[in-house]
Amino acid sequence: MVAAQVVPRDAQYVLNMCTKYLARDNIDTRSNFGQYQPGDPRAAIAEAWRFPVIDSFWDGSPASSYPFDTVTFIWDGKRSPALSVDVTGTFTELYSPVPLTEVPYLGQPSGLWAVSVRVPKGQVHAYRYLVDGTARADPINPQMRELDNGEVWSRFFTSGCTIPLTLGYRERRVLDALVRHVLPFRIAENSRFVSDVYTKLDRAVRDAQFPLAYLMDEDVGATNYIDKLLARDEMHHAVDYHICLPMIDTLLRERLGGLDPLVGPVELWQDLYGELASNNVPGWDYNRYHDPSNFLALLRRHAITGAFVHPRRGGNSGAAGWEYLESRYVDNAGQTLFDWRRAIEAPLGHNTDYRG
Amino acid sequence: MADETFDVVAIGSGAGAAPLVHTLVNRGKHVLLLEKGPLLRTQGQDPSGLSDFKRDELFATGAAKIINVPNVANNGEPYYSSHVEPDLNDEPHVYKGEDGQDRATIEGYTAQLVGGGTQLYGGVSLRFTPDDLRLASFNAGRTDLLGDPNGDVLREARDWPISYNQLEPYYCTAERLVGINGTRGGQLKPASQDFYQPPLEPNAISGFAAAGMDALGMARYRTPLAVITRDHEPSGRTVPQDTDTIKTAFVNRYGDPLGLKSNTWVSLLWPIHNEPNFELRANCVVTHLTAQGATVNQVHYRDPMGNERTVTGRIIVVACSAIESVRLLKLSAAADPDFSRRIDANGLLGAYFLTHCFGGAQCQVPQRADKSKTLDSDWATDHCAHPDWIRSHGLWAGGAIYNNTSDGALPISLARTWAAMDMDNMWKGYLGDPSIVGNEFVSYLDANFGKRLSVAFMANQVPQRTNRIDLHPSVTDKWGRPVAYIEKTWHGHDRLLMETLAEQCHQILVHAGDTTDVSYGSVENSIVRIANHILGGTRFGSDPDDSVLDPNCRAWNFDNLYVTDGGFMPTSGGANPTLTIQANSFRVGDLLSARI
Repeated sequence: MVAAQVVPRDAQYVLNMCTKYLARDNIDTRSNFGQYQPGDPRAAIAEAWRFPVIDSFWDGSPASSYPFDTVTFIWDGKRSPALSVDVTGTFTELYSPVPLTEVPYLGQPSGLWAVSVRVPKGQVHAYRYLVDGTARADPINPQMRELDNGEVWSRFFTSGCTIPLTLGYRERRVLDALVRHVLPFRIAENSRFVSDVYTKLDRAVRDAQFPLAYLMDEDVGATNYIDKLLARDEMHHAVDYHICLPMIDTLLRERLGGLDPLVGPVELWQDLYGELASNNVPGWDYNRYHDPSNFLALLRRHAITGAFVHPRRGGNSGAAGWEYLESRYVDNAGQTLFDWRRAIEAPLGHNTDYRG
Repeated sequence: MADETFDVVAIGSGAGAAPLVHTLVNRGKHVLLLEKGPLLRTQGQDPSGLSDFKRDELFATGAAKIINVPNVANNGEPYYSSHVEPDLNDEPHVYKGEDGQDRATIEGYTAQLVGGGTQLYGGVSLRFTPDDLRLASFNAGRTDLLGDPNGDVLREARDWPISYNQLEPYYCTAERLVGINGTRGGQLKPASQDFYQPPLEPNAISGFAAAGMDALGMARYRTPLAVITRDHEPSGRTVPQDTDTIKTAFVNRYGDPLGLKSNTWVSLLWPIHNEPNFELRANCVVTHLTAQGATVNQVHYRDPMGNERTVTGRIIVVACSAIESVRLLKLSAAADPDFSRRIDANGLLGAYFLTHCFGGAQCQVPQRADKSKTLDSDWATDHCAHPDWIRSHGLWAGGAIYNNTSDGALPISLARTWAAMDMDNMWKGYLGDPSIVGNEFVSYLDANFGKRLSVAFMANQVPQRTNRIDLHPSVTDKWGRPVAYIEKTWHGHDRLLMETLAEQCHQILVHAGDTTDVSYGSVENSIVRIANHILGGTRFGSDPDDSVLDPNCRAWNFDNLYVTDGGFMPTSGGANPTLTIQANSFRVGDLLSARI
């Protein structure tokens, strides 16, 4: 761990990231979609998950910029007045505090405090603010975790993170099985393709392009994407997965007379899929989750997004989803008909005008 | 007293305000521009070297949120918006559905950031035809109009108070300063000068649309698009060495991190942003105006932290998109009877709200193309805007037809717009078809990825007084202000016109080669659809009893209040409106610079 590298971002940038979400008179809980406990003031903030702001990093060179993100910590002094604000956490050496500075507006302090730091992609960190010397969790960011000692810390994760954050091991395995059934990659030829994507590259190319790809599998990272989505942008849907995945696990196990459904026949999962679609799942506890087809819709939207999303979002691992389309669709001369690399930033893609 | 005073205070920074601001600043006027949304910069503009726009499909349509607006029928439904569209729970548009129930909608929002809707639009920059501006004269005495048993069309058609010839020089100005590529030959729109940059090679899939147009004898031209293809001297923008890389599918509904799409920020505001007589304040929402007699003397706004501030100008220009401009004026009127009497003496404020009759056809083509190498459209035809064609089909007005190329060009966008007619229905088509899974998913991709071709029409909508923008009686925004309430229907003649034009699009695809799965239709069964072409509600005219604005876009009973977004249009024109809004704003800029 090295000392935090502060990245200069101007006041306009910070204001751009704050006004729409934070500035308001109304404190109705309009942004509570079930993800907040009663009384949580975040319920009045639009898209509170956007804080701290995770953005790209640029130092002039694609190769040295790509492995990093810029993380901007923001303290809203209008909600919680302060004389000094620092941020400390696992992203910086020995938790050494990094001072936030007041963001000016029209020559006066705006009330916002901010600092941007460079953080490697693929990481999860805990942080707290030191407000006039007192440690406090981030009152905006909904991602929090309570440590063994009872302290509450805030959490953020950077692009391409593959560390499980929301779903337990067994939940992820069950989700894997469901996602594979939704996506096209389990078909034999496609499954071979996915493994080829990774193995055909020599190590140097692989490390430059996909330093974050961890698991080349038939789900091409969609399960990981969903885990990250539930940790942040769609935290309100985590409950759907926490209810439905164990329920599916249990009811399939019962159908197999106690055997592990993960090693069960593919028909088991196909049948389940049809039952979910028709909202008629024998063994389903409708009191706990009244609409299985709703869960299937959620799963399908998340799975296809996770398969083809920009890899910074944690899915499309190693850009395998895009490579699948790239290699499957070619013209008579063998030229691809999905040349995604020309628009996407290097080194992931080939474009050096666009920096990501 | 207001906190500060300027020559001109403009509210909004899109197609309606930026052109006149550009003009006035260059002529030495002291201008303040207030924009509700953020100032998202290009890579070249931002000191970090990064843009706030990304080539990332989730920037166009992001994570699911849930509608949480009391008393609307779609409360609890998910919605998906881009990062620069408003949060629907903070500031919904509410419309009255066919069933009489209110619903929140993302339709009718352009984009809230510096550059407004021009940041997210596809860039189609067509002129209107001369006849589009004189539809009352064009139709006078006709007895052959179909689908108009009550004579509404003849009664409600209006000539604009300015002619095409008066607007024409400003079309040229807009085309030169905004930065547009396209071709002129075959257009039905006379041009005294040609400032188009050359278009890039069309996408291969567009060859089918071209073939269909040719087979039907429809003169075609390369769709004028607000994307530069060569270095653009007026705005100082330069293009990549390999100009073919300008074509990416991250066009329509995406902001451009490189600034090649000619939004009003990069084309008109950035060139003046360092002028000492210009100030741009982003993240500042105007809440209401107050007046002393016939003079608007205070603009009340919230700064980026939500603090109340005021400012004034000798001239006040409202251009925050037709719906939001009407709302701002109505909010101001609600607080002051004299303001109300002046802005709405004839009860027309918010009335005659317009969008476009639109729709089209789509099909599967036999040869797959790489649709990720594209701008928004390649070929256009004015065939159905020709007076003889209009009359021979018993219609009151015509429209433009062009092919789309960026629709469904990327894998997620293909799925989320599958059989989804509008932004409120994102994902519903794909999710509603559970057969798209496993093997069938592969078949779905094989059949559709890079093989879907669509052709769209954009045509005049009959003005109806009952189509209107109002303040909602109970739903409020995050500042406690009533939100906009949209009531609109299609006229019977609109439906007939849409059927006729959809059939033309259908025929183009039928004649395009070995196309299959051809379907066609329009928005006739969906009253919420707006295409983000939000027009009318503050229409201009020469008769104070029949319009909200005078021919110069000044509110009739105010000395210094102007409205210059699409609200000024008394008819909606037979093409995408942005270029015409820009041309008119340049015209008003000329008038204002002579006045102050």
